[in-house]
Amino acid sequence: MSLVTSLIMRQMRIPIIILIMGYAISILGMVVSPGIDDQGNPWHMSFFDAFYFVSFTATTIGFGEIPYTLTNAQRTWALITIYLTVVAWFYSLGKIISLVQDPLFREALKERLFTQQLERIPDTFILICGFGETGHALAKALTERNIHTVVIDESSRIIQTLPLEDFPLLIPGFKGDARDPEHLIRAGLQNKKCAAIIAVTASDETNLKIAVTSKLLHPEICVVCRSELEEFESNMFSFGTDFVVNPFETFANIFAMAMHSPALHLLYDWLTGVPDTDLSNPVYVKDGHWIICGFGRFGSELYRQLLKSNVQVTIIDPSEAKREIFLNRPENKNNDFIIGTGFDAHTLTIAGVTKAVGLVSGTDNDSNNLSIIMTARELNPELFIVARHNKKSNEKLFAATRANLIMQPSEIIARKIRTLLVSPLMISFLNKARNQDASWANVTISRIMGAMGESVPNIWTLHVNEKEARALCQVLRLGRVLRVGNLLQNPRQKEHQIAAVPLMLKRNQKFLLMPTNDIAIKSGDQILFCGTPGAHRSMTWSQNDIHSLNYIMTYEDAPDSFIWRKFHQFIKRNERRHRPRQKRHLMK
Amino acid sequence: MNREKVVFSFFMILALTLNFGFFTGEVDNPSHHNVYELFAVIVVNLIATVLKFGDRSQMGAMLLATSLVALVQLFSASIVWAYVVNIQGHPMTAGTMSTIISLSGGAMIANFISVILLIIETSMMRH
Repeated sequence: MSLVTSLIMRQMRIPIIILIMGYAISILGMVVSPGIDDQGNPWHMSFFDAFYFVSFTATTIGFGEIPYTLTNAQRTWALITIYLTVVAWFYSLGKIISLVQDPLFREALKERLFTQQLERIPDTFILICGFGETGHALAKALTERNIHTVVIDESSRIIQTLPLEDFPLLIPGFKGDARDPEHLIRAGLQNKKCAAIIAVTASDETNLKIAVTSKLLHPEICVVCRSELEEFESNMFSFGTDFVVNPFETFANIFAMAMHSPALHLLYDWLTGVPDTDLSNPVYVKDGHWIICGFGRFGSELYRQLLKSNVQVTIIDPSEAKREIFLNRPENKNNDFIIGTGFDAHTLTIAGVTKAVGLVSGTDNDSNNLSIIMTARELNPELFIVARHNKKSNEKLFAATRANLIMQPSEIIARKIRTLLVSPLMISFLNKARNQDASWANVTISRIMGAMGESVPNIWTLHVNEKEARALCQVLRLGRVLRVGNLLQNPRQKEHQIAAVPLMLKRNQKFLLMPTNDIAIKSGDQILFCGTPGAHRSMTWSQNDIHSLNYIMTYEDAPDSFIWRKFHQFIKRNERRHRPRQKRHLMK
Repeated sequence: MNREKVVFSFFMILALTLNFGFFTGEVDNPSHHNVYELFAVIVVNLIATVLKFGDRSQMGAMLLATSLVALVQLFSASIVWAYVVNIQGHPMTAGTMSTIISLSGGAMIANFISVILLIIETSMMRH
C-alpha cells in the first residue's frame, strides 16, 4: 500500500466508523419502532425497508414516509435518524476536505506523482541537481536529444513551474535539499535507471557534497560537477568524480583556441553548438597589446593564456594586494598592473586603450562590464572585446554591445556537459583536433559546410554492435565488406549521399580522425558523425534494416518473403539462361 | 496496555462471536437464526474492517483481506435474505435459510482466521 492510500485510510477510519455507527443505530431503531400498515394492523419495518428509509434520509433526498405513513413512534425515531446521520455525513465530508488540504498529505501526493513519473521513464535518466541557468540550459539540451532528465532543487517555486515550461520530454521535479543524501536517494540517485548525476548548483560546497554522496551510494554512475574554485576542483577529482567543469578555465581554453587557430575555434563552436541554429562566423583574435579589467578568477585565467602567446598585457584592478603579488612574480615583469576600476576613460587611457588590440572586461559585475565596454569602444572602436557576462537576464544588453567573444558561465558549462554526456567521443575528437594544423581545420570546416549548409550539425555516434546496428553486424558476419562510404549513401535514392560527415573512427582504443570512405568497418567500431537530423534518421534506418543496407550496398531491392524470394531466384536463373553468351561474358 | 489494540481486538472477537451466534442452530430452521444478530454481525464486521485500514505491515494486509472476505460473505447472505423476503415477497423457507447460514458459515471461518492471526501477532510481541 502506498503512503498516500494508507494516509487516506488512516485519516478516514474515525469518520467511516462514525458513519457506520450512525447508520446502524438509525436502521435498528427504525426496525424496532412500532408502526401500522394501511389496514391498521401492527407492522414493523424490515431491515430492507429501514435501510432504504435511512439511506434517503441521511443523504437529505427525503422520499417521504414509505411504504406506509409513519406512526408518531416511528417519526420520533426518524427525527433522531435525521440529526444523527446528517451530522455524521457533514463530519466525514469535513474530514475529507481537511485531509486534502493537509500539507503532509499534499507532500505525500506530490512525492507519489514524482515516483510514478520516475517509473514511467523507459530507459535511463540523468539527475540534475540545481535548476538555475545552467541546469535549465542542460535540461533543455538533453531533453531535445531524447535523454530523460530528473531535477532536484531546493526552491518549491522552481519545481512547481517545471511542468509549465516547454520541454520536449516531461521532467519530473523533486523539491529537496541536494546536500541531504536522503533527499538525493528519494530523487532517484540509487535508481537502476540513473545513468549520471550533474551537480550544477551555485555553491561549490554543495556540488562537492553531491559528488561525494553519489560516489559512495551509487559508484557506477557518471558524476559531473561544476566548480569555480581550484581547491574544490582538486578535492572533487580526489575521490573519482568523472568530470569537473570550471567555466573560467573552459572559457580560457576556448579563448586560447581562438587566438592560435581561428579555424579550430570555429570547428569547436560548430560541433558543440545547439543543433539547427545558425552557424557562427569565425573570430580572429589579433596579436598586440591587451588590457584586462578585473583580475579575478576569469581575468587571471585569460592572463595565463595571453602570457603563453607572449603579448603585452596591462591589468586594471582595484585591489592593492593583487598588485603586490602580481608584481612579485618574475614572469610578469613585462606587464603592467594599474590600480583602478576600468570603467572611467582616464584609467583606460593610462592603460593604453587607444593603441591596444584587445580588451577583457572581466569583473563579476555586469553593469561594470557593460560600462567598461562602452567606454573602451568610444576610445578605440577597433578593439577586440572579450566580455564576461554573469547574469542571464542581461543577455540582450551584452548582445547589443557586439563584443567579439562573450563568456556566460552557465552557457559554457551547459555546452561542455552536454558534449560530455551526449557524445563522449566528441571530447576525444576535439582533443585530437587541437594537435592538427590550421589547413586540416580548414578542410574539415569546408567539408562540414558542404554537407550541412548554414545550420549547426547534429552529432551522433554509430556503435557497430548487435544492439544498435543489427543489420550492420549481420552483414559483417556474412563476411561482406562494408565501407564508411556505404553508410553515407542514401537508402531511399540511388547514388545520392546523405548530409553527414564522418569525423572520427574509434577501434580498439585507437582513434582515426576524418576516416575516408574506403575504410572497411569492423564489428566493435565506433564512428562519430555530424550531419543533418534527416541524415541521422536515414543512417539509423539503414544500420538496423537489412533491406536498406542491402540496397545501399548493391543498389538492388532484394525480395523478402519466401515465395517472392523463390520467384526472384527463378527469374534470375531464367535471365541467365536466355542471355546471349558473349554478353554474359562481357558482363563478367 | 494499548487502547487502540483493545478496541481493535474487541471488534474482531465480537465479530467472530456474533457470527458464531448467528450460525449455530439447525441449518434450515428460520426460528434458530435471528435477523437482528445478522445485522449486528454485519455492523461489527464493517467496523472491524475499517479499523484495519491504513496498516502498512504484512500482517495488517492479511487481516484486512480476511475481513473483506467475511464482509463479502455476509453481504451475500443479507442480499439473499432481502431478495427472497422483500423483493420477491415469499416467506422465509428452509432452503433460503440454509443458503444464508452456509454463507455466514464461510464468513465465520474468515473471522476465525482473523482472530488466529491476531493471536499470532500478539504472541510474537516480546513484551
